[in-house]
Amino acid sequence: MTDEMIMEAVKNGDLQQASLLFERYHKRIFNFLARLASDRELAEDLTQNVFLRMMKYRGSYKEGLKFQSWIYQMARNAFSDHYRAQGTRYSNFVDVEKISDRVQDPQESEEQEQREKLLQRSLALLDTDQRELLVLTRFQHMKYEEVAVIMETTVANIKVKVHRAIAKLREHYFQLEKT
Amino acid sequence: MEPDKLEGLLIDYIDGKLSTADRQQMELELAQNHEANRLYVQLREILDAISKSDEWEPGKKLRENFEKTLRAEIAAARNAGLGNKQVSFQPVFFRAAAAVALVMVGIAIGFWINKNQQREEDLLALKKEVEATKLIMMSMLDNRQSASQRMMGATVAFKMEKADDQIVQALTKTMNEDPNTNVRLAALEALGKFHQQEHVRKALIASLATQKDPVIQIALIRLMVEMKEKQAVKELLRISTDDEVIPAVKDEAHAGILKLS
Repeated sequence: MTDEMIMEAVKNGDLQQASLLFERYHKRIFNFLARLASDRELAEDLTQNVFLRMMKYRGSYKEGLKFQSWIYQMARNAFSDHYRAQGTRYSNFVDVEKISDRVQDPQESEEQEQREKLLQRSLALLDTDQRELLVLTRFQHMKYEEVAVIMETTVANIKVKVHRAIAKLREHYFQLEKT
Repeated sequence: MEPDKLEGLLIDYIDGKLSTADRQQMELELAQNHEANRLYVQLREILDAISKSDEWEPGKKLRENFEKTLRAEIAAARNAGLGNKQVSFQPVFFRAAAAVALVMVGIAIGFWINKNQQREEDLLALKKEVEATKLIMMSMLDNRQSASQRMMGATVAFKMEKADDQIVQALTKTMNEDPNTNVRLAALEALGKFHQQEHVRKALIASLATQKDPVIQIALIRLMVEMKEKQAVKELLRISTDDEVIPAVKDEAHAGILKLS
């Protein structure tokens, strides 16, 4: 059954079906928010909030709308609402303890671990828009067409912005590496 | 080359998205241009780092909290459904006759309300049942593994009394794209049953223009004749003169034109 059919059922009152959508999307939404916020605990709270919104606003889901676009739009809103409500801006300071979730794997090389931290710190230095674009297209392998729907813009615009974001990420990454 | 443009092209080069000519030109540039080569190495490293980056696992608390929220939402929806059903009736006794009359009226109203509620509940149950049947039917039509399940889906659709947009879309998609001829034919039959609906007629005429399977083409032409669909004549004319169409279909199209003109 497609996501859209399940969401229609939820909209029509079969709320239990929402757990199917949770199974399909909670990890992706959590990763999206964790990469955006550089904070796992906050990302878990926000993910929780996204699924709560999905149920509360089920009546506003429009037939024919791709469910993926809808839920990612809610995730973006949950993220920006959080900082608006706190009256704070996103801080690009990355507390590595807040993002490190790994059960230490002895097989995993120290180098890979360092590279991951460097990557996350460089990512945090980007604008939120650029970070979003990179998380969606590069970490979550979403197509430009899909991202264009979520961001409500054109595919060509997304492509240009992704290239700029990668260029910026590269600059930060190699500057941080030197320090 | 401008640095921005060069970096964009290098990203496309690493992603394997350049045309052969552009790729060759880029390789030449990389061999000759030291700066381009430096950028390439850095971009490659960063894109590699992203692709090797692991997906993070959320904690168990997330699932537990979701389940709790879901239970609360289900309970809230149930309570909202029960709201506004209580009827309060407060008679005032001045005289015995008035009291009797009021009680009688009360009983009558109560009986009427009860009957109405029962009818509403029955309607709601029926609506839910139809919705459930629709969901089952759609998921059967969507079953890529089993042609017999898709066939059954089309049969269930045929037995339905009405087809909304979603059902028509699913049936049209099956009729046009299903790999199995029998399933396509069953979807066409189901659509034919709803031909009184304007959007179904449109979907059928549109399919006539794209169908390549002779069995479906013939069945569609016959259906157009049965529906007395004059708008199909133009398409039938095209089919009757199309060199790629087999003679049996051409004959059917020709016969269809004669009957519809």
